[in-house]
Amino acid sequence: MTGSARLAISNLDKAFAAPVLKGVNLKIARGEVHAIVGENGAGKSTLVNILAGNLRKDGGEISLDGNIYAPRGPRDSYAAGIACAAQELSSIETLSVAENIALRAVPQKKFVIDQGALNAKALKLMQRVGLQNIDPTSPTEALSLADRQLLEFAKAISFDCQLLILDEPTAALTAPQADHLHSIVADLAAAGTSIIYISHRLDDVLAVADNVSVLRDGELVVTTATKQTSASDLVEEMTGRSQTTATQRRDCVSDAVTVLEVTDLTTDELPHATNLTFKSGEIVGLAGLAGAGRSELLAALFGLVPLTGGTVRRIHNGAEQAVMNARQAVRNGIAYLGEDRQSMGLFPGQSLLANIMVPGSADIRTLQRIDYKKEADEGARLVEKLSIRCENLAQDIRQLSGGNQQKALIGRWLHRDSHILLLDEPTRGVDVGTKNAIYDLLISLRQKGKTIIMASSEIDELTTVCDRILVLSDRKLVRSFERNDFSEQGILAAAFSEFTASVENRSTSDSKVASRQR
Amino acid sequence: MNIWQSIKRYAEENFILASLILLILFFGFSSNNFFSVITLTTILNQLPALTVVTVGMTLVLIVAGIDLSVGSVMGFCAAVVGVGAVAWGLPLWMACLMGLGTGLICGAVNGLLVAYFSLPSFIVTLGMLEMARGLAYMTTGSQTVYIGSQIQSLALPLPGIGVSAALIFAIVLVITVQFVLTRTVLGRYLVAIGSNEQAARMSGIDPRPYRLMVLAVSGALAGIAGIFNAAYLGSADPNAGIGLELSAIAAAVIGGTSLMGGRGSIIGAFAGVLIIAVLQNGLAQIGVSEPTKRLITGAVIIIAVLIDRWRAKHASAS
Repeated sequence: MTGSARLAISNLDKAFAAPVLKGVNLKIARGEVHAIVGENGAGKSTLVNILAGNLRKDGGEISLDGNIYAPRGPRDSYAAGIACAAQELSSIETLSVAENIALRAVPQKKFVIDQGALNAKALKLMQRVGLQNIDPTSPTEALSLADRQLLEFAKAISFDCQLLILDEPTAALTAPQADHLHSIVADLAAAGTSIIYISHRLDDVLAVADNVSVLRDGELVVTTATKQTSASDLVEEMTGRSQTTATQRRDCVSDAVTVLEVTDLTTDELPHATNLTFKSGEIVGLAGLAGAGRSELLAALFGLVPLTGGTVRRIHNGAEQAVMNARQAVRNGIAYLGEDRQSMGLFPGQSLLANIMVPGSADIRTLQRIDYKKEADEGARLVEKLSIRCENLAQDIRQLSGGNQQKALIGRWLHRDSHILLLDEPTRGVDVGTKNAIYDLLISLRQKGKTIIMASSEIDELTTVCDRILVLSDRKLVRSFERNDFSEQGILAAAFSEFTASVENRSTSDSKVASRQR
Repeated sequence: MNIWQSIKRYAEENFILASLILLILFFGFSSNNFFSVITLTTILNQLPALTVVTVGMTLVLIVAGIDLSVGSVMGFCAAVVGVGAVAWGLPLWMACLMGLGTGLICGAVNGLLVAYFSLPSFIVTLGMLEMARGLAYMTTGSQTVYIGSQIQSLALPLPGIGVSAALIFAIVLVITVQFVLTRTVLGRYLVAIGSNEQAARMSGIDPRPYRLMVLAVSGALAGIAGIFNAAYLGSADPNAGIGLELSAIAAAVIGGTSLMGGRGSIIGAFAGVLIIAVLQNGLAQIGVSEPTKRLITGAVIIIAVLIDRWRAKHASAS
C-alpha cells in the first residue's frame, strides 16, 4: 500500500432496528474503480448513504486521504470531494436540465443567475455524458428515464471530486449508453478519481472495476481483483450462507383446484406476456432483484393497475370472473398487502379495530348499521389469534410496533376469510420472532386450502415457506422452481439472468425503457 | 371532590361543549339581556343555513377535500328560488325544489371534476365559487327579489314548538349524518379515504364515487341553505352567503375536524356553529364594535385549533 488510501473504512457499523452494516472494512486507492455487489438488503445503499452524509454511522471510522471523515450532512460530503449518483433519481423535475446539473454552484452575476454561463457549463457536461441532443433549458420532466440517469451522472461529475459513487448507474441505460458511461469512468479513474461502482449487472462490474467487494447481510465477506473472479463466483459469495431447508413437513393438499388463472397478462410495467395458474393450498413465492417486477405483478393480480393485455380470472365454485379492479378482487376473496405498510396499509390516527375492520365490511350494504358489539368481538378474536400486542382495540394503530401493525394488516384479510392472499414483503421491518409467527400463520392458512402469493427479497424466506418460487428478472418471468429443486444459488442466478444477459437482450430493453416513459 | 373530578373529566372529553357552555355563561353574566327571548330567537334564526352548510363541509373535509363554493352556491340557489317563484310564477314548493336541484348540480359538477378528472378540490370549488356567484347575479339581474311572506313560514317558529321548521330540519340532519358517519360502513369508508387514500384503494374501496357523493351532498345542502336564507329574509339576495364557506370551515375545525382529512365529527361541527353564533351575538350584546368582534372571532378559531392539537398530542403521548 503506497501512502494513505483515498478512502479507508474500518469497522463501520450501522443499525436501524437490526444491524445493517457489521464491522465493514474497505480500502480504496487513488484512481481505483472498486465495485460493491450483494443481494438486496445486503447493506450497499446504507453504505452509500453514510458516505454521502445522508445517514450517520453508529461506529467505526472513515478517513479520506488520511483525514478523518465524519459528515454531518450532504454538504459535508460535497465539501470533502465526494460526488454521488444515487440509485433513486434525484433531479428536480420542474427545473431545467442545466439548472439541475449546476444546482450546487449556480453561476451568478450580482445575485442574478447567469443563464449564459449556466447553460454553457451544462452543455459541456451534457456533451461529455452523451446528452448532446438535449436542450439544456428544457424541463427535466420531459426527459426519458435513461436520459435522466445520464443527467444524474452528469450532476455527479459536474465538479472535481476525489471519490465518485455510482449506485446502479446503468439500470435504465441501453448498451451503447452504458459503454459510453464506462469509458468516462475509466477516464476519470485514469485522472486519479476513485470510484465506487455498485451494480446488479455483474458483467459490467467485471468489465469496469479493478477490484470487487461482496456484501452479504451487512458483512463484507470478500474483496478480490476482478481478474481473479467470475460472475458465478460472485453469486456464490453473495448467497454464501448454508442453505436453510424448511423444517415443517407439509402434506400436499389433495383436492387442490385452480383458483386464479393469469393469461397473457401485460401492463405498462410488465411488458412481457405472463401466464400463470395458482391452486388452492399452495404458497407461491415471487423472487427477483429490486425493480424486477415482483410488486408490479402482485398489483396487477389485485386489479390495482390497468392491464394492457390478457386477463386475470378468479375461479370460484366452478364460476369464473375476470378481476378488473381492486373492489371486485376483494369481493372475490382476493386480499392484498402492500409493500409499504405506512403508505399502503395503515389508516393513521384510527383505532386498531377500525384498521382491521375496514375492508372487512366490503359486502355489507353501505348504509347498513355496524354492530359494534359483534365487531369488537371479531376484533378481539383476531387480536388473540395473531397475538397482536396492544393495550386495547381502541388504541391508535400508530402506537403499535411495526411487527404488530403488520399482523393487524394481515388480520384485516383473515377477518374477511379471503381465499387468495397477495403479500408484498410481508415480513419487511419485522423482528425475527414476529417473522416466524407470520411464517407459521401462512403455513396454517395453506393447510386450510388458502392460496398465498408472496413477493420477498429474502430468498431464504421464500425457500422456507413456499411450495413453488417464480423468479422475475428485469420485469420478465424467467423461471419457476418446484420445492424439491429449490436452491438459493439457482434462484439468484435466475434473478440476475436478464441483467447479465449480453447485448442481444439489451437491445430489447430499449423498447422497455421507452414504454416506461410516459 | 368527586363531583368536581367527574365534571373536570367530562369537560376534558367534551372540550367543545364545555367551551360553549362557558361562553354562554360568560355572556349571560356580563350582559343584562343575553338570556332574553329576542337574543335566543336571533341566534336560532341564524343557525339553520350555516348548520346545513357546515354538515356538508365537514363531510368534504373528512375525505381530505374542501368545498369553497358553498357560499356562492347558496346565493345562486336562493336566486333560483326567488326568480322561480316570482318571475316565473311557479308554486313555491316547485321553486324550492329547483333551488335544491341547482345546488345538487353544482355539487355534482364539483364532485365529477374532483373524483374523475383528478383535479384538486380547492381549485375546482374556487372556480365554482366565482361561477355560481356570477350566475346568481345573472338570474336576479343583480337585484334583490322579494318573494313575500309565504316562504317566511319556513323560518318562523312553529306554533306550539317555538322553533322554526328550518331549525328542526337542521338538527335532524346533524343527528342523521352523525349516525351515518359513526355507525355505518359508508361513514367508515369516508374516514378511511381521508385518512389514507392509497390504503383505502388497496383495501378494495374505490374512492372516486365517495368523493363525488360527498361534494354533491355538500352542493345539495348549500341549495337547502339557499332556501332557508330566502325564507329568513323573505327575499332572494344575490349577495347572500358571501364568506359563508369560511364560517363553515371555521365551525368544522372548531368542532375537531382535521383539514388533512380522516377525522371529523358532525356533532362537533354543530357545536362549532353554536360557538360562532353565540360569540357573534354575545359580543354585540356587550357592545363590542364590529372590527373588535372580527378580531376576537378570528382569534377564537386559532385558539380552538391550537388547544385541539395540543389535546391530540397529549392524548397520544399518554
